[in-house]
Amino acid sequence: MKRKKVWKTKSSVADKIFVVCNTIFLTAFVVVTLYPVINTVALSFNDGIDAVRGGIHILPRIFTLQNYRTVLHQQNIITGAYISVLRTVIGTILALATNALLAYVVSRKRFIFRSQLSLFWVITMYVNGGMIPTLILYRNMGLTNSFWVYVIPGMIGAFNMLVMRTYMEGLPEGLEESAQIDGAGDFRIFASIISPLCKPVYATVALFVAVGQWNSWFDAMLYNRMASEYTTLQYELMKLLSSVMQQGGSANPGSSTAVAAVTPVTVRAAATVVTMLPIICLYPFLQRYFVTGMTIGSVKE
Amino acid sequence: MKNSKLQRVLAFVLLAVMVFALAGCNKGKSGDIKEYTMFIAMPGSEINDDNEVAQIIAEKIGGRVKETWLTGQSAAEAVGSIIASNDYPDFIDGGDGMMALYNEGVLVPWDEYLESGKYPNLKEMYSDKEWESFRQADGHIYWANVFQNNYGENRATTHNDEAFWIQVKVLEWAGYPEIHTLDQYFDVLTRYAAEHPTTESGVATIPYTMLCEDWRYFCIENAPEFLDGYPNDGSVIVDKSSGTPTIVDYNTTPTAKKYFAKLNEQYQAGNIDIEFATQTYDQYIAKLSTGAVLGMCDQWWNFAYTINDVFKQQGLDKQGCNYIPLGLTIEEGMENRWHTYGDTLNNSSGVAVTTDCDDPDAAFKFLNDLLDQEIHDLRFWGVKDVDYLVDENGLYYRTEEMRTKAADPAYQASHLCNYSYMPQWLGTSRDGINAMQPTEQASEFLNGLAEPLVKCFQAYGADSYPDFIGSVVEENAPWFPMYSFSNAMTTETPGGVAWTKMGEVKHEWLPKVVMSKNFEETWEQYMSAYNAVNPQDFLNEMQQELDRRAAS
Amino acid sequence: MKAKRISWKEIKRQKFLVICTVCFVIYGIIFYYIPLGGWIMAFQNYKSRDGFFGSEFVGLAKFKFLFSDSTFLRVIRNTLAMGVLNLVSTFFMAILFAILLNEVRLAIGKKFVQTVSYLPHFLSWIIVTGILHDALSSSGIVNELLIKCGILSGPINFFAHKGYFWPIVAFANVWKETGWNAIVYLAAITSIDPSLYEAATIDGAGRWAKIKNITLPGIKPTIMILLIMNIGNVLNAGFEVQYLLGNGLVKSVADTIDIYTLTWGVGQNDYSLGTAAGIFKSVVAIILIVAANQFAKKSGESRLF
Repeated sequence: MKRKKVWKTKSSVADKIFVVCNTIFLTAFVVVTLYPVINTVALSFNDGIDAVRGGIHILPRIFTLQNYRTVLHQQNIITGAYISVLRTVIGTILALATNALLAYVVSRKRFIFRSQLSLFWVITMYVNGGMIPTLILYRNMGLTNSFWVYVIPGMIGAFNMLVMRTYMEGLPEGLEESAQIDGAGDFRIFASIISPLCKPVYATVALFVAVGQWNSWFDAMLYNRMASEYTTLQYELMKLLSSVMQQGGSANPGSSTAVAAVTPVTVRAAATVVTMLPIICLYPFLQRYFVTGMTIGSVKE
Repeated sequence: MKNSKLQRVLAFVLLAVMVFALAGCNKGKSGDIKEYTMFIAMPGSEINDDNEVAQIIAEKIGGRVKETWLTGQSAAEAVGSIIASNDYPDFIDGGDGMMALYNEGVLVPWDEYLESGKYPNLKEMYSDKEWESFRQADGHIYWANVFQNNYGENRATTHNDEAFWIQVKVLEWAGYPEIHTLDQYFDVLTRYAAEHPTTESGVATIPYTMLCEDWRYFCIENAPEFLDGYPNDGSVIVDKSSGTPTIVDYNTTPTAKKYFAKLNEQYQAGNIDIEFATQTYDQYIAKLSTGAVLGMCDQWWNFAYTINDVFKQQGLDKQGCNYIPLGLTIEEGMENRWHTYGDTLNNSSGVAVTTDCDDPDAAFKFLNDLLDQEIHDLRFWGVKDVDYLVDENGLYYRTEEMRTKAADPAYQASHLCNYSYMPQWLGTSRDGINAMQPTEQASEFLNGLAEPLVKCFQAYGADSYPDFIGSVVEENAPWFPMYSFSNAMTTETPGGVAWTKMGEVKHEWLPKVVMSKNFEETWEQYMSAYNAVNPQDFLNEMQQELDRRAAS
Repeated sequence: MKAKRISWKEIKRQKFLVICTVCFVIYGIIFYYIPLGGWIMAFQNYKSRDGFFGSEFVGLAKFKFLFSDSTFLRVIRNTLAMGVLNLVSTFFMAILFAILLNEVRLAIGKKFVQTVSYLPHFLSWIIVTGILHDALSSSGIVNELLIKCGILSGPINFFAHKGYFWPIVAFANVWKETGWNAIVYLAAITSIDPSLYEAATIDGAGRWAKIKNITLPGIKPTIMILLIMNIGNVLNAGFEVQYLLGNGLVKSVADTIDIYTLTWGVGQNDYSLGTAAGIFKSVVAIILIVAANQFAKKSGESRLF
C-alpha cells in the first residue's frame, strides 16, 4: 500500500508517457492475440456447412451446439478424459519432484560433479535416437500398452531442470551456509529451505509440465494404439483433426466413403475449445505465484 | 512437513492408478462373438463400440471389427511404427505402407484359402486374371483391394473422376451449347463472366480457379493426359498406337504446352483467380461454396460432397450453381477417356490378414461372410424399414428424413456400420433390382437433383453425369492403372528419386508458367529445370512395369 | 563456496548429492542415451525386417546423398534463416512483454492481459495458419487496411512472394508464443528483491531507469540461459508452419530440413536418411551451444554447464 502511494505521487511526465504507451501497446497486443481465440470460439458455435463459406469473425452466423455434441459424442471420450487427468496429475507431481531435486543437485556450487552432470543433461536436449529405436526400447521395457509410458520416460527434462537451476542459483548463498552450520543435511536444505523459496519457479515448471501432459497425444497413438483403455482426451480429439493434416496421398479415390469423412472446420474449433478450457482454468490458480517479490522480499540476508 | 503431505498425495494417486489398472484387466469377452482388430492407414471415423448394425452383423456371422484409423502420421510412418512395436492387429490395410508389411513377412498368404473353395464370396470378388495381378514377387497373394469393383451391371450415376466442370447456370445462359475444346470452354466462361460480374448475392464472379496445394495439385497438373484422349493412368500416358504399348510423358507433350499457354493467356486476361497458386484446400472449398466460381478442373470426390451440401443449404442449387462435367479434348472431334467405365483395380494396397491373427480360418470366413448379400445390404443400406423402405417391386428407397439421418455423423457412429475398408461391391445387387450401394441407386440419385440440373440433364438428353462426358466405352487395358505402380515407388530406385523431384519441380514451375509475362521464356526455363531431374529414369522404370503387366 | 577437487573424501561428504547423481545418470542413460544406438541406422540401409544387426552397412552413403543434393543445402539455408529470425523475434518480444506487463499497476488488468496472452499457445497450427491465410488473402483485413491507407493501389497476394515468407513465419511464431514464453521471465522477475525498487524510487529513479538498472539485470541470468539453450535450437525451425503456409511458388524459401526429411525419409520409409539428417542437426546444435557457452563463460555470464 505504502509503496503504491510513493509511486503515484512521484510519477513524472516521462512516467506518464510510459504508462500511456504501455497501455496502448498491451491493448493492441490483447486485441491481436485474442482475435484468433474469439474466432475459434465463434466458429465452434457455428453451423458446419455454413462455415465453409468463410467470413465468420467474432460472432457465429448460424448458431448451433451440434459441434460440441459431435466432439463429446466421440467414442472413448470419458476414458480419455480420465486418463488425461490422471497422467497430468501424476506426471506433474513426479516431474516436479524429480526435476527440482536434480536442479538442487546441479545448483550446489560446492558439488564435485556439478558441471559434468549439467553437461550430461544439456546434451539430452539436442540429441535423440529417433522414433523407431525409442519405440523398440519402450517395447522391451514393457512400457508399451501401458499407462506408465506417459509419465516415466519424459519425467526429467533438461529444459525444466535448467529453468529451476537458474532460479535456485539466484537465491542468496547465505541461506544454505547458515543451515549447514545448524547441521542440516542436503535433503533438509532442499526440502525446507530452498523449496519454499522456489514457489514461483515450481509453479512455472508445473504449468509447463501439466500443459505438456495435457496436450500430448502422439505418445498415446504411438505406444497405445490398440489399447483403447489407455487412450487420452487429446488423442480422441486428434482423431477428429487428423483428416486435414493428411500427408501425401494420391490423386485417385480410395473410396467415396473415405474421402467424404473430412472433419468440418467447426468441429475442429469445438475440439480446440474443449482442449483449452481446463488449462485456462488452471492458469489463474498458478498465477498468484507470479507476484513480484513475494518470496525473496521477506528474506533478509 | 510439506514433503510428507506431498508423499501422501502421491501414494493416494498411485493407489488410484493401481485400482484402475486392475479394473482394466477384467474386460471380459462376450459369448461366441469374435472381436477382430483392424488398422487402416487412412484417416476415418470410428464407429461406437455399441454400434447397432455392427451388433446385428456380429450376431449373424459371429464376428465384429474394432477399426483404428490413421491419426497425425503418414501411412508409411504409421506402418513403420507398427512394425517397430511388433504388435499387429488381425486385419490391416497399410495403404502406402503395404509393401513394408509384405517385406516384413507378417501377412498371411491368401492362396490356399482362396483355392480351398470354402470362401466362395471372397473368391468371386475377382477373376482369376485379376487375382493374378495381386500376386507378389514371392508368388503369393497377400491382400485384395476392395474398391471400384462392380457386381453385375455398372450403376455409376456420378462421374467419380476428373473433368473440367462448369456451372449449370452458365450452360443454361449460353443455351446448352456443345463444348468440346479448351477454347470453347474458356470462351463460354468469359462471355458469361463479362455479362455477370457478380453473383446474385453480390460476390465477384471468378471465371476459373485451380488448386495447386500439395498432393491435390492434380487439378492443374494432369489435364494434358486427358486432353490427348488418354485414360487416367495417373502418372503417365500409355500409347498403344504403335502396337507395343509405350510410356509417354504427358508433361512435355505439345498438348501440355498448348494447355499451359491457354491458362497463361487466360491468366493475363484476368480470367483466372489471382490466388490460384497459393490458396489452401479450405480456401478453395470456401470459394467454390459461394457459387462464384464458374469452372475448374478437379476430381468429383475432391469437391462435390462438401459443395453440394453447401449449395443445398444455401439454396444455391436452385440458382444453378451445381457443376456439370465436360469431356474436353485439345482438338475438336477427338475421342476422350475422362470417365472410367470399367473397374479400376489398384493392386498396390488392400485388406490383409496378419500373422498375429490367432485364427486365420475364422478371419477369412468373416471376410467372406461380409460379402453375403444380406450382410452387404446391412452394411450399406442399413436396417430395413428403419434406414430404407422397399416398394412393391422390391426396389429400395429412402425418405428425405432417412437420407438426412444417414448423413448425420452421430447417427453413423451409433447406428450404421459399413466396414468401409473391408471387401465390398459396387454395381447391381444379387437381386438384380437394386444397387449394391445407395449412392448408385438411380431413383435415389434423380430424387436428389435440383431443378436447374434436371433441365440441363433433359437438354443434353443425359441420364447420369457420365453421359455429359461421352467417354469411349471400352474395357480397361491389362496394365491400367499405371498409377498403382508409381504410387508405390520409393526413393531407393533412381526412378523413384526422379518421380519425387519431378513433383517438386512441377509444384514450383507450373504456377510460374501460368503467371509468367513471357510464356515462351518461362516454359523453356521450366523444361530445363524439369529435364535436370532425370525424368527418363522414372519413365524407364514405368516402361519396365508396363512391359511386365502387358506380358502377364 | 567453490567446487572442491574430486576425491573419495569429498564424495563421502557429499554422499546425498552423489547418490542422487547416480540415480539421475542411470535414468538419463536409459531414456536418452540408449536410444542413440539408433544412430547406427544412418550408416546402414536400414530395413525393419533385418533390424539393427542385419541391415546392410553403407558407410557414409546417406550423408553423401544429403550433402551432394543442392536441395538439401538450400533447406539448410532456409532453416537457419527462419530459425534465427524466429529466435530473435520471439525472444525479444517475450522479454519486452514480460517487462511491460510487470509495469502494469492495475492487478485485474495485469491478470487479464497475462491470461489472454498465453491462450494462442493452445491453438493448433492448423487453426492459426487458417486465420493468417484469411487475414492476408486478397480480400483480407491486411490488404483492406493497406488500400484504405493508400499504401497499396490494389491487393497483393502475400503468399506468392518469396520475400514475405520468412517474416510471415516469424510473425506467426511471435503471435502464438509470446505470452507463453514470457511466463519464465515473469517468474524470474519475482526473484528480484522489492527493496531495490523502493530504494531506487527514493533516489528519484523513473520507470525507464528502474527497468534498465533493476529489472533487466535481475532477469539477465534467465535470459542468458534461455538464449544459449535456444541457440542450439535454431535448426529446429519446425515444419508444420512452413508446410501449412507454403506453396509451390515459395517452396524454394519455405522448405526446412524437417520437411526435407519428411519428403525423402519418412514418407518413403527411409529411416536411415531421416536419422542422418537428425545427426547433422544434433552436431550443429552441440557445436553452437558449446560455442555460446564458451562465450558466456569468457564474458562472465551465467552458463549452461
